Amino acid sequence: MTGPAIDRARVLHIAKLSALSLHESEIDQLANDLNAIVKYVDELGEVDLSQVPPTTQVQFEASKWRADEVVSGLTHEQALAASPQVEHGGFAVPVFVEGAS
Amino acid sequence: MIESFHIAELASNVQAGKLSASEVAKDVISRIERHNGRLHALLHAEPDRILAQARAIDEKRARGEVLGPLAGVPVAIKDAICTEGETTTAGSKILSGYAPPYDATVIARLRGADAILTGKANMDEFAMGSSTENSGYGPTKNPWDETRTPGGSSGGSAVAVAARIALGALGSDTGGSIRQPASLTGTVGVKPTYGRVSRYGLIAFASSLDQIGPFATDIRGSARLLEVIAGHDPHDATSLNVPTASYEAACGATIKGLRIGIPEEYFADGLSDDVARSVRAALAKLESEGCVLRPIKLPHTRYAVATYYVIATAEASSNLARFDGVRYGLRAPAQSLAELYGATRDAGFGKEVKRRILLGTFVLSAGYYDAYYLRAQKMRTLIRRDFDAAFAEVDVVASPTAPTTAFRLGEKANDPLAMYLSDIYTLPASLAGVPALSVPCERGQDGLPVGLQLVAPALQESKLFTIASAIENHYAPTFPPEVR
Repeated sequence: MTGPAIDRARVLHIAKLSALSLHESEIDQLANDLNAIVKYVDELGEVDLSQVPPTTQVQFEASKWRADEVVSGLTHEQALAASPQVEHGGFAVPVFVEGAS
Repeated sequence: MIESFHIAELASNVQAGKLSASEVAKDVISRIERHNGRLHALLHAEPDRILAQARAIDEKRARGEVLGPLAGVPVAIKDAICTEGETTTAGSKILSGYAPPYDATVIARLRGADAILTGKANMDEFAMGSSTENSGYGPTKNPWDETRTPGGSSGGSAVAVAARIALGALGSDTGGSIRQPASLTGTVGVKPTYGRVSRYGLIAFASSLDQIGPFATDIRGSARLLEVIAGHDPHDATSLNVPTASYEAACGATIKGLRIGIPEEYFADGLSDDVARSVRAALAKLESEGCVLRPIKLPHTRYAVATYYVIATAEASSNLARFDGVRYGLRAPAQSLAELYGATRDAGFGKEVKRRILLGTFVLSAGYYDAYYLRAQKMRTLIRRDFDAAFAEVDVVASPTAPTTAFRLGEKANDPLAMYLSDIYTLPASLAGVPALSVPCERGQDGLPVGLQLVAPALQESKLFTIASAIENHYAPTFPPEVR
């Protein structure tokens, strides 16, 4: 398995998927770092894994249903207490007009 | 004063009224004042809160109530664990000043056992790192040599204990973040079985790996702490509904006839001679006391780092999506919703966190999922099977915890891959979900602490405590002279 080169364009693409803004000055360094790590990770291709099932979790006991009981959670005020902006009893974000030219 | 106690003795003294919790609290505050500015183990510590907790414990005793198993014991808390009304940042600027509305389950259990919470311990941002240098608030220094790191990511917790600012601490271990700093600071660090301890209130990094565990000055103290925090919690669907053993009773039990597996893959290239010598000397002592040493193979060890950095970053990229500037934490000014998210996350996340979010997003992205994420999950199966096969022959696996003693601040800061490789011995047990601990053995020729790692089958933490206490009998817990 040869790893794909992670170039500037790919860094910007995955940054967009990650909802991360990047500074111009850090893009090349990130591409270098990610390339080095992905190249290292490519060693996973050395082993034939075609007949091996994936491990998705390592819980040593089957999950059980819990009783369907109503219990108190956070109050309205507690839930909102750490929000950067609260309006009309809810989380507020700035008003944006998306797609406006 | 507190530096002359371990957890069990201090609790006995407070329970018996020979020492008040308030006296302990005053000493803790004085030790924070003397040492924390230099070492930067704690990010947030409030003397008033420390004193108030101690007063409540003393009043409880004055009313004739029986005090809990951690009576008056000072415990530091990794800053990734939520404490109600008290700043909790996970070492990140994006959570600067954040005060959670509730206590994590482990915090409620410590309070219920009458511990004194001393404050929040420094860490690599969102637990992503192996040196505590990735903290958004500056690094923690190793009290054995302040030019060196204490390891990470729970470096602040380890140093709080190593410098006797606290006698115990909670950390979280995703790939070695309790065991590796314990090894580098001469403390005991325990990663319990996945699911043994509730994670309700732990700020998530990689959910199939994260586990909370204790640090302590001695083995018995770490066993007592685990007994307090372990057990089922309906708030955490991954917490196991199985009985908790008496780990403290397992300390000092006979080790005669126990079979200890020595994986040859762990004594290979990259292991420093100093560390190898100390670990082999400790193993020879166990053998002379009746343990059976047996060479074993864990053949997929060499793929653990690659496997881990795919799985952990994939999970992190999803877990950290919640930090978007809307419900809590930092919000950057923006002209559009996309910019609100992007700018907030750019301003709030450090370099390593961004690198891991990008890597995790990449390995999950269309066209690369099968080649990276799925492959890593399959390799995880082989790493688990390695342990299954080993535990058919031996009771525990023993190895060095880390390949070297504490490395210098800045030494690996600009080489992410070199930093990742410092977790080579701790990652496999994390991927397999099995319990492991690090116990100090003989210090290296450089005078720095060396940790020996023991790994047991799932839910068999007791075996770890039994063998570790036999090791501790030869290497009395100690702390650096500078913090006396």
